[in-house]
Amino acid sequence: MEPNPSLAPRSFGRLNGRGVWTLIYRDLRRYWKYGVESIGGPIVSSLLFLAVFVLALGGQGEAGGGLTFVQFVAPGIVMFALMHSGFFNGAAPLVHDKHEGMIQDVLSAPLNAFEVAAGYGLSATLNALVTGVAVLAAMTPFVDLPFGQPLVALLFAVAGAALFGLTGVLIGLWADKWDHYSAAESFLILPLGVLSGAFFPLDSLPALARTLILFNPAFHVIDGVRYGLTGYAAWSPAASLAVLLIADLALAWLVWRLIAIGYKIKP
Amino acid sequence: MARELGAVNWRGLWTLYAKEVRRFLNVSTQTILAPVVTSLLFLAIFTLALGRTIPSLGSVSFAEFLAPGLIMMAILQNSFANTSSSLVISKIQGNIVDLLMPPLSPSELTLGLASGGLSRGLIVGLSVGLGMWVFIPIGLYDPVFVVFHAVNASLMLALLGMVGGIWAEKFDHIAAVTNFVITPMSFLSGTFYSIERLPGNWQLIALLNPFFYLIDGFRYGFIGHADGSLWVGALVVLTVNAGLWTLVHRMISTGYHLKP
Repeated sequence: MEPNPSLAPRSFGRLNGRGVWTLIYRDLRRYWKYGVESIGGPIVSSLLFLAVFVLALGGQGEAGGGLTFVQFVAPGIVMFALMHSGFFNGAAPLVHDKHEGMIQDVLSAPLNAFEVAAGYGLSATLNALVTGVAVLAAMTPFVDLPFGQPLVALLFAVAGAALFGLTGVLIGLWADKWDHYSAAESFLILPLGVLSGAFFPLDSLPALARTLILFNPAFHVIDGVRYGLTGYAAWSPAASLAVLLIADLALAWLVWRLIAIGYKIKP
Repeated sequence: MARELGAVNWRGLWTLYAKEVRRFLNVSTQTILAPVVTSLLFLAIFTLALGRTIPSLGSVSFAEFLAPGLIMMAILQNSFANTSSSLVISKIQGNIVDLLMPPLSPSELTLGLASGGLSRGLIVGLSVGLGMWVFIPIGLYDPVFVVFHAVNASLMLALLGMVGGIWAEKFDHIAAVTNFVITPMSFLSGTFYSIERLPGNWQLIALLNPFFYLIDGFRYGFIGHADGSLWVGALVVLTVNAGLWTLVHRMISTGYHLKP
């Protein structure tokens, strides 16, 4: 008797494209469902930061490289919002799925570890990019940015979104409860994001801090995006990009291996 | 026979207060240490970014001007978070009945919950202040103003948190109030700058913001300089708190969004 073809195991080829897309799509929809907070929140807080700098502190002062202080700080504020959003959108879905037990749905689907990692990592990256673009768009009426090399800025933004999205996934895997998530946010992500040169020029730092800041990946993200948007970079953009690509690959590999061994997601 | 509780159910009130305080002490890393770290980061970026360009106010450096504002901002955010999250979590998890069932009057409920938020605000404010004192000189000019405004700020935001928490159906609502009301009002209230630097209309708007008087009076207690009138400030603060207290009391006694 011929086997019924509809009962044969389905074949997915090398990559279960539909499965990965479904996982990504689910988290994109989660993002949109809370659109008021996921997009409106960062826009409001970023504009507040800008307002504080512009209105009150007379942000027209020089910040080096021929930029006014506001031109200098605007890309920093945008990237701060983007990186924070990447972290949140990487970690929150995992913590939520683990907390509610829904992680089982992902683990029992025909997705291998690489595909699960890609699903969580890429959705966080995309959501972070949407946040970043929205904040940038909201800011352009108030700041005169030359947009000299938009593609370079985009490249750095993608690298930064992936970096913080993957960091979020990593924290999401590690966290047993929301308290752990908040701790990582307060004691890791905020310090990295704030002490990154987003809000102050490097030459306002003491010499030692100027060296230490090179070890902060957020610095490279912000410096690269600022270079693309304003043409001013404090460090070599090519070297920054190399640092970010290496960090991205290392993080992606780590996330993939942790999911493969079932770190804190399988019994 | 029913138990006699007297005019005030002191034990019930104390139990409610102790529960509210233990709630945040239990996760003190998030509720006390995190605001200290965040405030220190703010202090770092603002002094680094703007310390050079901002003229100092007489003998006061920008960091000394900024520190009281940042302490106050931590107080505002944390007292609000304490009462609002307590109420929303209780409502979502259903254990709000444990507040409504015991022999506690609306006045006792208001006082118990508000005191919990008040304690969180004061503990956070003190911790942030001590944390900053390690890095910059913080002098006291008039402790009366410091204490008066710290207490009233904690109380105001604890009461606002109760209004928000009672109104909110889910966490999103509280997140929205925090993002779109509390944060903007505390950012645009003179935390980071003297409102004398603002253009005319913005100065007027700042004077309509009750948070401005909290920060202004609090800062006066440290550096001896205020942008607005101290007596107007004290009057505004007390009036707002009395109004909020009445509102919260009314919400609890009518059972608005609390009782089916």
